[in-house]
Amino acid sequence: MQHILRLFILLVGLFAGVGSYAADAAPKLTTPDDLGPQIEQPIEFPHFRHAGDAKDGGMQINCMYCHTYARRSMVAGIPPVQKCIGCHQSIESVRDKPRIKKLFEYWEAKKPIPWKKVHDLPDFVRFNHERHIQRFYFQQDRPYQEVCGYCHGDVKKMTVARRQKPLTMGWCASCHMKDHPISAHSTKTGHGPNDCFTCHK
Amino acid sequence: MKENDFNRRDFLKVLGWGGTAVALSGCGNTSIQDGQEIVTSYVTLPSYVIPSIANYFNSTCAQCDAGCNIMGRVREGRVLKAEGNPNSPINRGKMCGLGQSGVQAHYNPDRIRQPLLKGQAVTWEAALGAINDKLNGVKGEQVAFLTGGMSGHVQALFGNYMDALGSKNHFSYEAISPAVLRVANKKAYGMAMPRYRIDKARVVVSFGADFLGAWVSPVNFAQQYAQFRKGTRPEGRGVLVQVEPKMTLTGANADSWIGIRPGTEGMLALGVINALGSAGIKLPADIAAAVKDYTPERVGVNTGVPFERINKLATLLKERSPSLVLAGDAAEGYVNGSQNALAIAMLNHVLGNVGKTVEAAASVPFPQIAPTVGSRSSLNKLNDGLAAGKYKVVFSYGANPVFSAPAAMKFKDNFVKADFKVAFAQYLDETAQAADLVLPLDSAMEDWGTVVPEYMAAPEGSDADTYAQMSFRQPLMQKLYPDTRGVGDILLALLKQRKADEYKDFEDFYSYLHNAVLKNKVALGGKTTDDDDIFWDETLSKGIVPLKGVAGSVSAKMSAADLKLSPATGTDTNYPLRLIPAVSASMRDGRNANEPWLQESPDPLTTVVWDSWVEIHPKTAAKLGIAEGDIVEVASKSGSIKSQAYLFPGIHPDAVSVPVGYGHEGMGRYAKGVGANVFSILDPVFEQETGELALNETNVKISKTGQRVIIVKEEGPLGGSQDGRPKIAVQVQADKVDLSKEV
Repeated sequence: MQHILRLFILLVGLFAGVGSYAADAAPKLTTPDDLGPQIEQPIEFPHFRHAGDAKDGGMQINCMYCHTYARRSMVAGIPPVQKCIGCHQSIESVRDKPRIKKLFEYWEAKKPIPWKKVHDLPDFVRFNHERHIQRFYFQQDRPYQEVCGYCHGDVKKMTVARRQKPLTMGWCASCHMKDHPISAHSTKTGHGPNDCFTCHK
Repeated sequence: MKENDFNRRDFLKVLGWGGTAVALSGCGNTSIQDGQEIVTSYVTLPSYVIPSIANYFNSTCAQCDAGCNIMGRVREGRVLKAEGNPNSPINRGKMCGLGQSGVQAHYNPDRIRQPLLKGQAVTWEAALGAINDKLNGVKGEQVAFLTGGMSGHVQALFGNYMDALGSKNHFSYEAISPAVLRVANKKAYGMAMPRYRIDKARVVVSFGADFLGAWVSPVNFAQQYAQFRKGTRPEGRGVLVQVEPKMTLTGANADSWIGIRPGTEGMLALGVINALGSAGIKLPADIAAAVKDYTPERVGVNTGVPFERINKLATLLKERSPSLVLAGDAAEGYVNGSQNALAIAMLNHVLGNVGKTVEAAASVPFPQIAPTVGSRSSLNKLNDGLAAGKYKVVFSYGANPVFSAPAAMKFKDNFVKADFKVAFAQYLDETAQAADLVLPLDSAMEDWGTVVPEYMAAPEGSDADTYAQMSFRQPLMQKLYPDTRGVGDILLALLKQRKADEYKDFEDFYSYLHNAVLKNKVALGGKTTDDDDIFWDETLSKGIVPLKGVAGSVSAKMSAADLKLSPATGTDTNYPLRLIPAVSASMRDGRNANEPWLQESPDPLTTVVWDSWVEIHPKTAAKLGIAEGDIVEVASKSGSIKSQAYLFPGIHPDAVSVPVGYGHEGMGRYAKGVGANVFSILDPVFEQETGELALNETNVKISKTGQRVIIVKEEGPLGGSQDGRPKIAVQVQADKVDLSKEV
């Protein structure tokens, strides 16, 4: 009897323990419209200013001008502070804006900016930017904003980025199962890999 | 069932329910963690750095003294793995397991992170101040500096510091080194470390030189060996004969393994020369006279090698020329060790190998950076001085004598007699524990330096006889801990205490090195017109600086006059077995014992992990009633250790073997208390000419303690049915094998 009692206590403990861990660690659930939470960043970076259309006051800079590693590496990369300064040191008109002042404070202190990660997949998932960019941007010749937008949404209309898509496995797989043209000049199609080890290695 | 029993079945039940619990409470949540982690971007970034893609930086391995050139794979500012530098004539793009573990020396959790004065963390100012205080009023001859093997610009700086102190008491110590061989080689060939060309030989007879495992420059030799074994080679596939009382990795690879009686290697060599004479090789008169008495029949009786095998060996050597005969640890570690080595070297002369497979090596043109090699005889001198109270301040860097000196030398007792002991250390090893002040060192992956290897391998080509090289060691990543310092930086700071003016221009060791290299730009392969920065960057990125070395020469003749082979020392009836401390490829002298990969990688022959063991011949074990896993006590006149018995046919029945490097009392979590320290029970018997500790001259007795363990090893049970696979058909059972009769 005592034996069963002990087992029972252990089990209740386990449930409680695991449950509370899950409750603590669980991120906020995706909102019904698939949006991620608003995230406060050290500098409220205006994506719409940089990447937005000219008619909306944007400068139409290619995403990969700053996120330059996306086409060459697994990660898209947050640009080094040097890159921001490279342009902003000669843009006098916005120099007194609080955001730019803050940027220069980091630069002068030679401190990196502690950006919060917005699109953070679990550690057991390997997502490769390079493969996707090579396939859709270079081979299929689609517009970069569309290609990046598959996963990141319409960043050119945002200030700081906010997650727009669920980024769950089911969501990834739903696109991988579709047939896509092999290249811009081909009628052949193929779908993305569906092997477990492609992402989980 | 007992009241408190919580059996396996219950445990599995809970595990099952627990899994359900996880599933229920975890399900439905995405594990995408928006805004939880910080992604730190760089402030500035060289254009060749791409996050997630690794860069390789050339450096030099610090795990042993071979000085292999390596490349560190660095990603996002962290070094992940080392690879061999393909342009290196030493390791030719390859590396060994010991070298691979270098990253574990770097990321080791047991590294010292702050200077420790009498066990208390202090600042560097206080630590260096304490040294300055203690040195004031102390005469130069009262200061002693113990180091391991050294070379390059750190050594140059070190020499300057000793001069500044007015001290000549530099003791260079290596626990395991070919010190006897160097002396014998000097006599036999005229140089301490000629180049051995295993790749050119048609037959190699190695007297206990474990050149594939732990001898001199194993990665280089392993590459040569691969060539040697190729049937497509013009010389044809080579034949390897290994003569040694305890089988090493090289012995296991040999075509023929001769389990000789310990200490009679030199006699066998003379027996082979005698047999060669009988077989028609013309011997010089003095050599013929010297070997006259060593007939194969007589040598056979003394060495335990049947005389037919001696004749066969002579025939093999005669027919397959050029050959190469090597003398290694197993032949050196005796009272008559250098005579053994000389007799073996004489074989090379008789066979005409000198100049063909024993080539002259060049030396670096700058004596200040040429390697200082260590030996055990210098430790004896230091120990005597300490016992006599001659030294007030003692420094120790890159050596751990408290661990590796035999207990009978009472080194620790003598060491603590000195007023002030300073240890430069990466771990709190036994010597650092006994020191008053411990200075935490950078790892070899954080530090600057240059390395000149003792064994100077050369690339193929006409200028090989003047090829010498200096290798760069550069930081592969930023320091992990802010309060560790490189050895060069510490020496520079100490020098500034003595000669502030002379060194005021050098902010740190990097600037000293930078300046020294650029000053000698032309000698280091540059042109006077080269831009300094470009020259420096290119030199660093190559990692290897070829130098026009001073060509050496090997003497073609050797006189037999030096050779007076004294008989091997006999056994003691109270201690009937000969102890052979084994040097394994991964553990070596134990300086890297706190790297778990090395503890975890199975010994190549016994597959034992995470412990030391006592190798006993099955016949001897049967006589003593010992079975595998018995905890036995190995007792010598100087002490005893306990370890697990491992029955192994690859050892002479009159010998037992225990690996060195285990049994640390400090150092860190992976080394402390693992195995037993066989150095501690060695008798203080010394080689008669060099004064080196004769490692194989300890006689022991073995007794059972009554305890038994299951040995953790990889091999299956006898005759092997592992994982339900069918039994392998065995012709001879493992405990019946006599490897000395095989082949």
